[in-house]
Amino acid sequence: MNIRAIASRPWIWGFAAAVLVWLVILTVSGQGGGQTVSLALSLAPYLVVVGLGQMLVITAGPGNIDVSVAPIISLAGFVSVGVAASSGSATVGVLAGIGVGVLIAVISTVAILGLSVPPIIATLAAGLVASSVTLTIATGFTAIPDPGLRQLLNVRPAGVPILAVAVAVLTGLIVLLLRRTVYGRSLIAVGQNRRAAERAGIPVARVIATTYLVSGALAGLTGALLAAYIAPSADLGTRYLLDSVAVVVIGGTLISGGRAVPVGVWGAGLFFILLDGLVNLVGWSTAAQNLLKGGLVLFVLFLAGGGDRAGGTASRFRRRPRTAAATTTTTGDNTHG
Amino acid sequence: MHVENLPAASSQDPSQGPSETPPGADRGPRAGRPVVVAKGVTKTYGRTRALNGVDLEVRAGEVLGLVGHNGAGKSTLMRVLAGLESCDDGAVLVHGKEVSGEAGPRAADFRAVRMAYQETSLCPDLTIAENIWVSSRHCLPRMRWRRAASDAVRGRLDEMFPGHGVTPRDRVEDLSLAQRQMVEITRASLVDRLDLLILDEPTESLGPDAARSLYDYVRRLTAAGTAVLLISHRIREVLSVADRVAVLRDGAVTAERFAEGLGEQDVLTLMGAHVAVPSERERAAAAHAAEGAAERPVVAELRGATGPGLREVSLRVGAGEVVGLAGLAGQGQQEVLERLWRPVRRDTKVLGTRAYVPGDRQRSGVLPLWSVAENLIVTAMRGLAKQGIRRPAEERAAVGDWVERLAIRGGADAGITELSGGNQQKVIVARAFASTAELVLLDDPFRGVDVHTKTDLYGLIRQEAAQGRSVVWYSSENAEMAHCDRVYVFRAGRVVAELVGEEISEERIIAVSFAESESDGEQSNE
Amino acid sequence: MSELLASALPSRARMRRTAPAVVSAVALAAMIAVCASLQSDVLTVGGLTLVLSATVPLVIAAQAQMVLMSVGDIDLGIGSFVGLVTVVSATTLVTSPLLGVLMLLGLVAAYAVLGALIHLRRVPSLIATLGASFVWLGLGLFILPTPGGSTPEWLASFGAWAPAGFPAPLLPILVVALVVYLLTSRSALGVRMRGLGSNPVALQRAGLRPLTSRVFAYTAAGALGVVSGLVLASQTGGGDVSSASSYQLMTVAAVILGGGSFVGGSAVPWGVAIGGVTLGLVSVVLSLLDVQSNMQSAVQGVIVLAVLAGRVVVGKVLR
Repeated sequence: MNIRAIASRPWIWGFAAAVLVWLVILTVSGQGGGQTVSLALSLAPYLVVVGLGQMLVITAGPGNIDVSVAPIISLAGFVSVGVAASSGSATVGVLAGIGVGVLIAVISTVAILGLSVPPIIATLAAGLVASSVTLTIATGFTAIPDPGLRQLLNVRPAGVPILAVAVAVLTGLIVLLLRRTVYGRSLIAVGQNRRAAERAGIPVARVIATTYLVSGALAGLTGALLAAYIAPSADLGTRYLLDSVAVVVIGGTLISGGRAVPVGVWGAGLFFILLDGLVNLVGWSTAAQNLLKGGLVLFVLFLAGGGDRAGGTASRFRRRPRTAAATTTTTGDNTHG
Repeated sequence: MHVENLPAASSQDPSQGPSETPPGADRGPRAGRPVVVAKGVTKTYGRTRALNGVDLEVRAGEVLGLVGHNGAGKSTLMRVLAGLESCDDGAVLVHGKEVSGEAGPRAADFRAVRMAYQETSLCPDLTIAENIWVSSRHCLPRMRWRRAASDAVRGRLDEMFPGHGVTPRDRVEDLSLAQRQMVEITRASLVDRLDLLILDEPTESLGPDAARSLYDYVRRLTAAGTAVLLISHRIREVLSVADRVAVLRDGAVTAERFAEGLGEQDVLTLMGAHVAVPSERERAAAAHAAEGAAERPVVAELRGATGPGLREVSLRVGAGEVVGLAGLAGQGQQEVLERLWRPVRRDTKVLGTRAYVPGDRQRSGVLPLWSVAENLIVTAMRGLAKQGIRRPAEERAAVGDWVERLAIRGGADAGITELSGGNQQKVIVARAFASTAELVLLDDPFRGVDVHTKTDLYGLIRQEAAQGRSVVWYSSENAEMAHCDRVYVFRAGRVVAELVGEEISEERIIAVSFAESESDGEQSNE
Repeated sequence: MSELLASALPSRARMRRTAPAVVSAVALAAMIAVCASLQSDVLTVGGLTLVLSATVPLVIAAQAQMVLMSVGDIDLGIGSFVGLVTVVSATTLVTSPLLGVLMLLGLVAAYAVLGALIHLRRVPSLIATLGASFVWLGLGLFILPTPGGSTPEWLASFGAWAPAGFPAPLLPILVVALVVYLLTSRSALGVRMRGLGSNPVALQRAGLRPLTSRVFAYTAAGALGVVSGLVLASQTGGGDVSSASSYQLMTVAAVILGGGSFVGGSAVPWGVAIGGVTLGLVSVVLSLLDVQSNMQSAVQGVIVLAVLAGRVVVGKVLR
């Protein structure tokens, strides 16, 4: 296949890798592949939801990252299960999970915009607050997840989990959000060139704030669903820090911002879940799992490269002469103001 | 110590420098050997051909002035001559030796060719001495380089710019713009052997005294046998310093003349009428507009605005009026635009919506991953949308309309980065005017834009003003101000003159911008 | 024209730059005072040793972070990296010292390669080092799946070293700060690194390769990470790959507290030493104040935000 054609559809990578891993699983286990796919489809949605939030944040441009997703997931897990148990309504529980995610994101947002704290520090600090609250709640926590919600998450008509369908719809909505709404276009503009976006009359601060709040909400939703599916625990979200960033990177979203690929998050999410399955199947240790994941992220990252923004999509694999880059850059005087 | 091998010219007796002799006394043809020669140099960036067969010779002991309007290829040519970039076709010869295509600044051939950049090439977080190490490390001792660099830069600064007021331990970020320029020029001149010194708009941010002492030094340098290539848009300055003048136009040297006996008007003619003169009709319209200005409703107003870069600035913008902000670069015009764009202070009153046309396309204009259409509509999108949902049909119609109206080459679906600079600028201008903004702010947007595009855009501004839009227009090109109804001339953060209608002329603006410049120094020391 | 005006500037500008470190130093003094008022032993040599020792590896890792931040990068993998070093020093370094030393050198080399790849592929360091952190974690788990092992004798005796006259932890903190100061602020190499963070174009025009600067910075950071891991192992007496996982963000916070910035270009080794100790002492103070261990991380987060907020205010005042 033509490399340019693949490069212009960056989401293909994730799906191709997922299919590859699936084939390997098929050969190794020798069992029906349909079941594997069904299982992957029931696990991947959690990763996709939090990944979509991370994707929006990364699309907002260089330096933007949300490292509070992991603690938010853990916290939202406890909060939603607790609220659902005390109120008797799973819906209220899920809403509480989303709400607590937004609440933590508010801390980050205030720090980023009000105190001009870099996003990584702001979300880190907010995450620390979240994990403290989590630990406090976790001691002596007895409530159990709502059985109705758990059942719903396990429903798989024709092997396709309902949750996967719902998250697919959510992905579609995010695609529409990015293409058809003023907010989505503004976010992409801000990610490409923040100064230019500001001069084009885009309310940059509002766009950034919305983005972090949405990411917090999606992380909260993930936590609420995941806690109902598995069980709330203090390290429920731990693995989602790297995984959420990884699915965004592998999914083809431009890491320097300005181009989001929601569909790619699905491909990369499935790939990661299947990879987990394969590693478990072969009986590799957690050490090997970590090595494999980290190595993969680095591999994809270095293969795709980044920062080459002037050439558009087609030239992602073509390197510009460095001297040409020098003409467009000026001294960094203004960054200090 | 090792310091004495560093400054090039001071070891060659500077006393013969003819600083007392009136400028031009020792001018005329000189038989210096060529230091750097460009032969048929061609260079293209993407679709734009920046240089188109340039032939140029810089000889030892002369000052060669290089003039040409923005976008003529001056900066590319300089980069090629300094060995920062290779040329696609043709050759660059240093001391008669052809330099291979991949020659970079590492090449020993170019070590004696030094360039002072307009936007400076200093690291703001480093001290002056450390910056000197970065650029002149070949000539510094390995041990105790810090002291050697400090001594060298202090000596050279004292020599070139007496009263500079900086010490080698200062960080560049703490310096004023003028001081940075001084350090940049000093940095370029500090090398063990200097054959060619390229000065790119060296006096842009220097005061008149500093400019004078710089040119004194330049004469001393050339007397000692160094060649100097001076790029400046201040033609009078070039004529008073240079021995020869080369005119660059559309990527080629179109004329080379001895400076003696050459007048400013001659040079302007050689450069081509680079600024469109408004037609009679437009003139009349402008004059008419000026008459009616008094009755117009006020759209924006500054009342005694004071702050960083501004002192007691009062100005008024009426509906349908084109207001110019003129003067030398960096005298407070951009601060005024900033106030109008973000009216947060009490002294600024802006009624209605605003749109902004940035001058620095790359940094604050273009959204590089998007097409022309997407770039164009991003501002207007807000106004067209309903409840935050875009309306594609309306957007497409507006884009089509503007692409046609401004004849944007490449069409709506081309990637913005595939366009030439002029066409990119058209898109950025169209972005602002496609919105419903009542006040459009122009931040010197027509630098480096070709004549035809400029003429189109000037026409557009007048048309839009006639339909009731107000425009505030900062331009570094005084001739552009002729398209305005009213012009405020700025100096040192103050409005020093308000010109209306017929009063607006390049000569008038220049006269007001430079007048009483001696008293500036006292004022800024308050 | 504005020469005279500007000549008055530097002192004010210098004040603005040192303000964050001064604020941290004041916070440090306040915390020691609080400690002393709660527990008067703190001001003795033994007490200070006890209080400070926990901060030493953090301070050294923060210096590594500072070196990378001076070229404009951020390292999110330093925590796992330090953990991996403790694992190596508790296992291979004991069983076969030569191989252990080679492995540690190999880890430094890996950092250099990482830096080179980040530069050549123009990848954001934030995400690349996040990916690398999982490689370090995987390697650590691979060598030592559960915490344990024992450190070599020489390392253990260094950890137990207690001179009479002064608190022992001060020595490594000051020595490392001095070395980093000489490297980043005084040497030509340091100029290259800070120049890269400040204005890569200027570096290029002068014929200096940015790649070299970045690789130097990553090598230095890797070496400092190894030192930090060795010190940590000497204190805990064993290896645990996740023993330093909090460092990945604490080190960044320490640099910021010490007056560093995210945009690169500045090196503040002394400020980082103060910032790191301040941050490390927070948990000591909190435990002396009987704050629940659950809430400690939240308090740390809030303190970081509060100090940054204070910096914004101080910066506005000094402008």
